[in-house]
Amino acid sequence: MKFARFALRNLARNRRRTAISLAIVAAGTVGLLLTAGFIRFSFDGLREAMIHGGLGHLEIASRAAVASRGEAALDRSVQQGIDDWQKVRDRVETLPHVVAVQANLHLMGMIQKPGGDSVSFVGVGVEPELERRMGFETKVRDGRALADAVPASGEDEVVLALGLAAALGAKPGDVVTLLAASPDGMLNALDVRVAGLSTTGVQELDTRFLKIHLASAQRLLGTERVSNLLVGLDDTGRTAAAQVAVTEVLAGGEQALAVTPWERRAAFYSQVRGLYLGIFWFLGAIVFVLVVLATSNTLVMTVMERVREIGTLRAIGTAPGQIAAMVLWEALWLGVLGALLGNALGAAAIAGINGLHLKMPPPPGAVDPIDLQLAFVPEAFAAIVVVMAVVLLVAALAPVARATRISVVEALRHV
Amino acid sequence: MPPALFTVRAAAKRYELGETEVVALDGVDLEIGAGEFVAIAGPSGSGKSTLLHLLGALDTPDRGSVEIEGRDLATLSERERTLLRRRRLGFVFQSFHLVPVLSALENVEYPLWIDDVPAAERRERARKMLAAVGLANRLDHRPDRLSGGERQRVAIARALVHRPVAVLADEPTGNLDSANGAAIFELMRSVRHELGTTFVLATHDPTLMAASPRQIDLRDGRVVSDTLRAEAGA
Repeated sequence: MKFARFALRNLARNRRRTAISLAIVAAGTVGLLLTAGFIRFSFDGLREAMIHGGLGHLEIASRAAVASRGEAALDRSVQQGIDDWQKVRDRVETLPHVVAVQANLHLMGMIQKPGGDSVSFVGVGVEPELERRMGFETKVRDGRALADAVPASGEDEVVLALGLAAALGAKPGDVVTLLAASPDGMLNALDVRVAGLSTTGVQELDTRFLKIHLASAQRLLGTERVSNLLVGLDDTGRTAAAQVAVTEVLAGGEQALAVTPWERRAAFYSQVRGLYLGIFWFLGAIVFVLVVLATSNTLVMTVMERVREIGTLRAIGTAPGQIAAMVLWEALWLGVLGALLGNALGAAAIAGINGLHLKMPPPPGAVDPIDLQLAFVPEAFAAIVVVMAVVLLVAALAPVARATRISVVEALRHV
Repeated sequence: MPPALFTVRAAAKRYELGETEVVALDGVDLEIGAGEFVAIAGPSGSGKSTLLHLLGALDTPDRGSVEIEGRDLATLSERERTLLRRRRLGFVFQSFHLVPVLSALENVEYPLWIDDVPAAERRERARKMLAAVGLANRLDHRPDRLSGGERQRVAIARALVHRPVAVLADEPTGNLDSANGAAIFELMRSVRHELGTTFVLATHDPTLMAASPRQIDLRDGRVVSDTLRAEAGA
């Protein structure tokens, strides 16, 4: 510590050069902060899109269904569905932080418009009012969403994804026929009226997807079961704790049930996260190398300009380790002060960019542009100060080696 | 002669200067006793600075030996030589060589600071030493705000603050006008009388040589004369 103040004064000798070094460190810091902010924004956006796009925070399904199709399966067969699901729901709804528990019934089959071709579909029977409470958004592009009330027999409705509606030539108000196999293998048919057209946000899924009321789906499949229950929480951060609580409250029930958090069902999220983290580390490595090269050169110059002075200090009894400490402190100051400056500039840059409300092109597989809102990542602001200190200490290795190997006699003769 | 502080035996030192080999010292023998005031004289290239570097444990001879307080430099590690310079020797240079970012007081404190002397003690000692060289009113001045004579006084205070047994001065008046040079010389002589510190000066200033009680003349790396004079007032 004794050389800290001395080093700070040394940095003040050539203020222009020190300012350039600080600017290099600050620029690297801003770059990393913006990248971290963008990646966190992307992670958060994708996470919430996944959860509110149909995964919920937790899935409750029969253990048999999970065992046969795996945790990540997005649809569960009705044969392995939940029998007494109302009781299960009642128990889970009593837990804190649970916003709603929605029953889903997955189905697949054929859809036909009278006089038209048959098209295969995948669909889900939902409870629209609970979907809304859980923050699930149906992106209606024409007509309206499903009505909340349980439809009476003969008044069933469907919302078709845009691609599927286009393939059928269907529009709101048309009647289409759904064909699907019941759990015992019977082929059932149900006439439904098109309430509206929507998009899932994923182009491929839009060519096959439809949504009907849970009661309509049960009517079509001739069953009282549901495929799974989706649990919505008031805070995504409580997912792990809620998983434990739900598992406990369901233990000892008549049917063996599995509780799966959203992240284990979101393979796409994990892949995107892995890709973005890879990009972040790659960019980080580039910034690391650039800052090391630029600042190392500057630090070498500061040492070479002080050869005679370092020789004098060595002559009057300064140990090589003390000379090294002096140079390392100079590097440390550059790293810490540069990073703090970068933090301030980075915060301003994030606020400025967010204020512009820039539109980003839709991410792969999505259809809607997204509003760019870079995240403030407090841990990144703190970590980057440590990282830049380490970067500068690495940059100081060559100058330290030079400073400590200076011959005292030659240094005293140095002009 | 007082007991030997420095003992040099057949010391030789050569340097490579480009493709030329320069003989800086060629078999020097001498002893310098504790409390002596010695001027090493000779023209440029005679080996004055090289001899001073050997006496100051800044360098080691290629041949022969140099002993400081009975310790052969060749037997000391780098760390031991650093500690020897830090605690037993003081240095004064022609161009003062003060640290420009430190004040006069901090420059004088420096040898105590690197030796972990407590802050209050080192500050007090540095303050007294600066007062002793007549700079009590320049404590907070950085070197660029001091005159040449004042800078050399700070350098002398820095060389003395840790109470060394000897001060080695390389052309200490070389960058000063005659009045300041004479004042610095008188200051060193008075310190020697008051503290008993040994002074070894490399110089080609005739006035300084003539006023020194002992003068060792070097030519081409060899001692050509070693003259003792009666001291004024002795």
